[in-house]
Order: sequence, then C-alpha cells, then structure tokens
Amino acid sequence: MNTFLELLLNGILLGGVYALMACGLNLIFGVMRVINFAHGEFLTLGALATYSLCVTFKLPFWSALLVVPAVMAVFGYAMQVTLIARVINAPMIMSLLLTYALSTVLVNIGLYVYGGGFKGIPGLLTGSVKVLGVGLSEARLVAFAVAIGASLAVFVFLKRSLFGKAIRAVSQEPEIASISGISVARVRNATFALGAAMAGLAGVLLAPIYAADPQMGSRFLIKVFAVVVVGGMGSYGGAIAGALLLGVVEVLGGYSLGQMAGSAAVYLVMIAVLLIRPRGLFGVGVRA
Amino acid sequence: MKFPLTVGAAALLAAAVPVFGNDYALTFTIQLFVFVVLAYAWNIIGGYTGYSHFGQMGFFGIGAYVGMLLMLHLKWHWAAAALAAGGVGLVLAVPLGVIMLRLKGPFFAISLFGLTRVFEAVSFEWSTFTGGGAGLYLPPIDNQKMLYAALALLSLAMLLLTWWIDNSRFGLQLQTIRDDEGAAEALGIRTTRLKVTAFALSATPAAACGALFATHLAFIDPPTAFAPVMEVTTIAMVLLGGLGTVLGPAIGALVFTVLNELLWTRFPDLYYGLVGIVVIACVLFMPRGMVSLLVRARLVAPGRGAFRRIAATSAAASASATPPSAAPPAP
Repeated sequence: MNTFLELLLNGILLGGVYALMACGLNLIFGVMRVINFAHGEFLTLGALATYSLCVTFKLPFWSALLVVPAVMAVFGYAMQVTLIARVINAPMIMSLLLTYALSTVLVNIGLYVYGGGFKGIPGLLTGSVKVLGVGLSEARLVAFAVAIGASLAVFVFLKRSLFGKAIRAVSQEPEIASISGISVARVRNATFALGAAMAGLAGVLLAPIYAADPQMGSRFLIKVFAVVVVGGMGSYGGAIAGALLLGVVEVLGGYSLGQMAGSAAVYLVMIAVLLIRPRGLFGVGVRA
Repeated sequence: MKFPLTVGAAALLAAAVPVFGNDYALTFTIQLFVFVVLAYAWNIIGGYTGYSHFGQMGFFGIGAYVGMLLMLHLKWHWAAAALAAGGVGLVLAVPLGVIMLRLKGPFFAISLFGLTRVFEAVSFEWSTFTGGGAGLYLPPIDNQKMLYAALALLSLAMLLLTWWIDNSRFGLQLQTIRDDEGAAEALGIRTTRLKVTAFALSATPAAACGALFATHLAFIDPPTAFAPVMEVTTIAMVLLGGLGTVLGPAIGALVFTVLNELLWTRFPDLYYGLVGIVVIACVLFMPRGMVSLLVRARLVAPGRGAFRRIAATSAAASASATPPSAAPPAP
C-alpha cells in the first residue's frame, strides 16, 4: 500500500511537468493548427541552459527560473517569425516536416555544443520531504509546484486578460477574430513565444531531477503528444488532467513492467482513448 | 512517349553500376534504392492519399527484425526473408490501418510517430529476442550484387505501381480522398477500404526493404531499424521531388542521397543538423517539388497521363463529328 501511494504521488508529480509542456503544445495547436515537433527541443534547450547557468556560471537556481523562460520566449518568437509563420496555411505535412527538421537541427546543435553525455547539477534540491508518510524528492516537489502554478497562471491569463481572450478567439475562429479587429498574426507569434517559454520552464524544472542531455526532449515529447491526445486537442483543462493521468500510468507501468514498458504503456493508453473517443477525454473536437 | 524512355535509360544506367562500378558505387546505389523504395512507398499514402504518415520506419524496422531473425535462426535465404518481412508488413498494416486511418491529420501523424517509438522501445526491451541495444549481427553476404538487383527490381516495381496508381481509377479515388474526404464519401467512394489498401501498399514494400537493408548492413539495432532521421529524410525526398507524382520520389531520392553523401563525408559532426536545414529549405522554397520545375521547363508534360489520353481521343472524336457531344474532363 505504501509503495502504491509512493508511486501514485510520484506519478502525479511527474504529470505536473507534462502538464506544462502539454499546455504550451495545445495553445500552439489551437491558434495555428500546427503540431510542434520541436517542442521537446525547447525543453532540452531550457534544461541545458539551466546547466550552463548553475554549473558553468555558478548562478543560483532561481535565476534560471526567471532568465531561461524569457530567453526561450525570444527564441520561440524568432523561430515563429522566420519559419513557422510561413507554413501555417500550407498543408499539414509541411508544418509537421518543418518542425521535425527544426528539432533535428536543434538536437545536433545541442550535441555539438554540449557533447552527448548527461549533464547533472550536483547539490541542487537533493533533499526529500515526507508527505503522507512517503518521502518525496524536493526537486520533484518544486518542479510540480512551479509547473502547475505556471499552467494555472496561463489558464487565468487566457480566461481573464484581453490578450488571453484574443488567443482563445483566434483558436476558435481565426476569420471572425480578424474581423473583430484582432491581429491574428500577432496573436500567433505571441502564442508561439508563450509556448516556447513554457517548454523552456519545463526544461529548467527537469534539469535538477534528470541530468540534462541534448536528446532528452524527444523522449519527453512523445509522452506529451500522448497527453495532448488523451486530454483532448484544444482543451486546456484536458491537457492538465491528461498529464496527471499519464504521469501516473507511466510511473505505475514503469514500476511493474520496466522503464521502456512504462513509456509504451502511455502510448497504449493513448491508442485506446483514440479508438473509443477520438477527440480525447475532454476535447472539443478538431476543426479541420 | 518520354516516360518509358526515361525509365529505360535510368534502368540501363542502374544495370551498369554492378558491372562497371566499384564497391563504393555499389554501396551508394544500394542505399539510394532503399530510399527510392521508401519514398515511393510513402508517396502512396502521403502523396496520393494525403495522410501525413510518420510511422513508415515502424514497418521498415519490423521488416528488418523479421528478416534478420529468419536469417539468423532459421537460416533462410535473404530473398525469402525479405518476402516474409513484406508479408508481415502486410498482415500488420491491414488491422493497424483500419484502426489508425480513422484518425485525421495531426492525430494520424502523431499516433503513428508514437507507435513507431513504442516498437523501438519494445525492440530495446525484448533483448532475448532482438538483442536489445547491442543489436543483432549476421555474417555478411559475400555477393552484394544480387542484393543490388533485388533492390533495383523492387524500385522499378514501385515506380510502375505508382505509374499505375497515377493512371487508374484507384489513384483518382485516392486523390479525391486527399482533396476532400467527406466529398469522396458522399460520391460513394469506399474511403476506408481504399485508405487501408493504400496503407498496405505502402507498408509492404517498406517492410521488405527493411529486411533487405538489414541484409546489406549485416547488422540491426533499434536506432538503425526505427531511425527518425530516415523517416524525415524519406518524407523530405518525396516533397523535394513532388508529392503525389510518378517521377517525384525517384528524383527527390536521387538528389537527396547525393546531397546526404556529400554532407556525411564533409561534415560528420553536423550531418543531422545539415540534413534538417536541407529539409527546412525544401519545405520553405520547394513545396511543389522539382517535378513542377521540370513541367515548367517542358521536360515533363503537365496534368495526368490518363486525362491527356481521354482529352486527345475526345478531341479527335469531336473533330470528326461536327457537334462536340461530351466535353472532355478538364486536366
């Protein structure tokens, strides 16, 4: 029973970071109908940048929490303006191929600059805290709290602020949004920057838990794809719920069947959901 | 008739490689043919049917493992193993197609991408059977020329299959599904059956090709069998040549393989990144493919062969009979 509780809590903690990734991916998909295959590499860049800041430049961890998302937002904006914006209206395969190729380029740059090994950050958030009689690692708790906090903050921003409403309008009906005076292009650029910043923040949070390496992004991204599909494409709350669910599935599956099988279990859940309810558990259905 | 001439000249050139070329030329051409087969196979489902297939390497990898295991444990001849691998690809593609092709656009793409990663994870994990991360080794076959011939024949078969699709009712129905699936269904096209057929036609050669590639390398491990970079390269080849065209995949594969070779030998450290940059350039600057350039240069006739023939016969008929009765379908 205690083991089960420990796995359950660890799954939920893992799910928090997935939620942050999935929400960004979902926002980008919502406003542009573009699946960003390079989203995982934004996470990688965040994690590697954290390693550089904390180990190479010996800056405190909180500075990475502030600096990295800002830098990733600028980077995402640049990628959007130079590359992604040019294929939004092209057939789906173009944007898929473009972001896939972008991810290959970013992985290669990461390998070239940082080398292939794992980059751990020694002595950072190594303690553990007892919750419900279960010892949980400090790094995971911090990651969960910050990730869920950031996801909810973005959620409130979408619901309450004027710009958030513009984002939702563009994802529901770009033409009518444009008629209402919303600059669709600006909303798309800003949303991509926001998504990149969220992925970068996820990278910062993962850096103390897992050692960073240039290929970590794709390992996370395939699970985040599953999260987005299970939760429902375009549903923000669904992404959070799906993330927590699949985090638990992965940890329980990984414990009982092995690490690789845990990741496979995530995908089997996704395929099962797609068969029974293709729009996802909380999805609103996809406008073609 | 330019088409048979072009194909004939290419076939002669290909036949000259094992006779006159050295080992390097042979290896290079074998890899070229692997990509030609993969590009044609992808073109059927991705180009003609319009489904963004990101799981072709799944079939390729499974074919590679099936072929490898048959050769290793049952001592099968590589040709028989490749046929069996193709068969496994077919048997797998039909139920998988029925399930997966219900999904549209991005869902189809990321589900198949994910499924391929699951296959890769399984081949890592199931090490008693697949050798895990260490991979499987085979005594190299001494005569690569027969392998070359097999791949050349498979490439030719894929070219002819694509030519047939381009000129058949089946191909037109696939293109209708690509352009508007709802309208296709309303016209009475059996979309599911046709999509699954196209998916199987694309998976079978990919799996057979995987077995032949494993024979060529005499080695297979999960990152080689399910290589994501091969996936993206194949798709980029079709795009570079021309999506949904007969000659596009071959042209794209040829240009891209030459480019690959140059990049790989000059910049091994930056190879993957440079491939990515080439793919990005293809997407941004060449979305209609090189075939469209050939059409503009009047080296390839525009429109579809089948339509041209219908138009030619009805134009001849209307010239003899004064009132033009049935208007020819627009190309």
